[in-house]
Amino acid sequence: MSVIRIDDLTKRYGEVAANDGVSFDVEAGEIFGYLGPNGAGKTTTIRLLLGLIGPTSGTAEVLGADIRDRRALTEAKANVGYLPDTLGFEERLTGRDALDFFARMRGDERREEVLELFEPPLDRRIETYSAGNRRMLGIVQAFMHDPALVILDEPTSGLDPLKQERMHAFLEDERDAGKTIFFSSHVLSEVQRVCDRVGIIREGELVALEDVETLLKRGGKDVRVQLAEPFDEGRFVTSEMIDVETVDSTVHFTYAGDPAALLEHLVGFEIKDVGIGDPRLEDVFKHYYGDEREGVPAEAR
Amino acid sequence: MTAVLRLESGKLVRGSLLLTGLLVMLSAMFFVVFPSIQAEAALFEDVYPEYLLVLLGIEELHTIEGFLGGYVFPFIWILLAGVYFAYVSAGMIVRDVRTRRMDLTLSNPVSRESVLVQKVAALWVPLAALNLGMAAIVLAGVAALGESVSPVALVVVHALGVPYLLVCAGVGVVLSVVLERVETAQATALGVVFVLWLVDGLSQMNPDFEPVGAFTPSRYYDPSAILVHEEYALFDAGVLLAAFLVLLALAVFVFVRRDIR
Repeated sequence: MSVIRIDDLTKRYGEVAANDGVSFDVEAGEIFGYLGPNGAGKTTTIRLLLGLIGPTSGTAEVLGADIRDRRALTEAKANVGYLPDTLGFEERLTGRDALDFFARMRGDERREEVLELFEPPLDRRIETYSAGNRRMLGIVQAFMHDPALVILDEPTSGLDPLKQERMHAFLEDERDAGKTIFFSSHVLSEVQRVCDRVGIIREGELVALEDVETLLKRGGKDVRVQLAEPFDEGRFVTSEMIDVETVDSTVHFTYAGDPAALLEHLVGFEIKDVGIGDPRLEDVFKHYYGDEREGVPAEAR
Repeated sequence: MTAVLRLESGKLVRGSLLLTGLLVMLSAMFFVVFPSIQAEAALFEDVYPEYLLVLLGIEELHTIEGFLGGYVFPFIWILLAGVYFAYVSAGMIVRDVRTRRMDLTLSNPVSRESVLVQKVAALWVPLAALNLGMAAIVLAGVAALGESVSPVALVVVHALGVPYLLVCAGVGVVLSVVLERVETAQATALGVVFVLWLVDGLSQMNPDFEPVGAFTPSRYYDPSAILVHEEYALFDAGVLLAAFLVLLALAVFVFVRRDIR
């Protein structure tokens, strides 16, 4: 059963299409990653799903409710949790008062349980909260009424790495308990880490929809190696290295192969310094989803 | 579903107490100067230009009823409280949209209609505070001056003043769903209520201009008529109430259709 069904959803602001004919389904019991650079239209899709803005054309269903049917959508929200990217709390309330406010509208049977994992200072006013505390309060309100579907817009921004990891584990537990999670992010590694399936949006258009394994293969690693000179570039560069740039004795490339094989390969050289990280999303797009300017998937050309 | 009403009511308590306190102090100052006004009332009515008397609805200034109806209520209730209600209401929706609070509110199973109506319903807080505060200071002032006013007229002047304030709130709410900036909405609401009050007064001076005044809310609330002549214009209050409901319906109509950006 599809928990979210998006059908040719389009939202235009004048000439600009923030969402242009987006179609995909999110199935029950999966963590669906909605990946795209900032400004790609992720938040627009989410705001359409919640009925905060209306579609120019096309439609979507959330838990069976058509987003154009305000009454049905309002009822469906009893079973939806939402963590927005910008958290607009009532600043003068304490965290506890804010949770009480949401609880009156949709219940809080799991409040204490979620508060054991994420602990914002409930007795302090929200205006004194750090970004991390605000995010934690947002997570608690999104899950405390035990919704069937949770929509998370950049959920880990502002969280320290430990809390991010806790969030990822929590999402997996929720998924295993049957929840459906719609997870938007611009961080490739995060989506690779936690999601089952991924939709990639760029400039308002869905450019790819795939299992996370496929994405893992395509993601690659961003590698920078500083070698002790001189070195033999012909011997160093392998076929898994893409976009190789060499400046003096430093080589910068995207590695598309197995990380273990890369490490073994590097051992054969005299290395001063090495940095391995996630590629920028833009680079992934460039390599696997066609050139930025053309706006068409590589396979289609 | 009263969660929004509860929250909004709580948010209005501080401002309402502050406003009521200020208006009560202002009223008290009026009462202090009443004896000297009373002594010079005839002179006042001679010296003040006719338009000023009409503008403020001043009649029978030497009586306590005339003073209340022509001085205290026009300033305190019609002008200052009216401006306050318009100003506060004008912030209600637009501020929540701008601060993204509306996103979280509307992620709950609550309709936009309900959110807007509950927010407006929270105006019971300033209404109650203002009514109690004004009744208390008027009774105290009248007693201190050794005067007396008809208790019925006093109740009526408050009761019929409520629809007037609701119309001011209605103006504010409509601006709050139409305009996109908090400051613009609030300044416009404040300006509109002030101009309407001015137009009503000025229109009464010129017979050609007079019908224009029919479109101002203060035309339908006359404290002097209530207190001095004990004329209770229930129909006029009904007109105000109907105007408030029309404004509220208009605000709902716009709000449920617009994008929350």
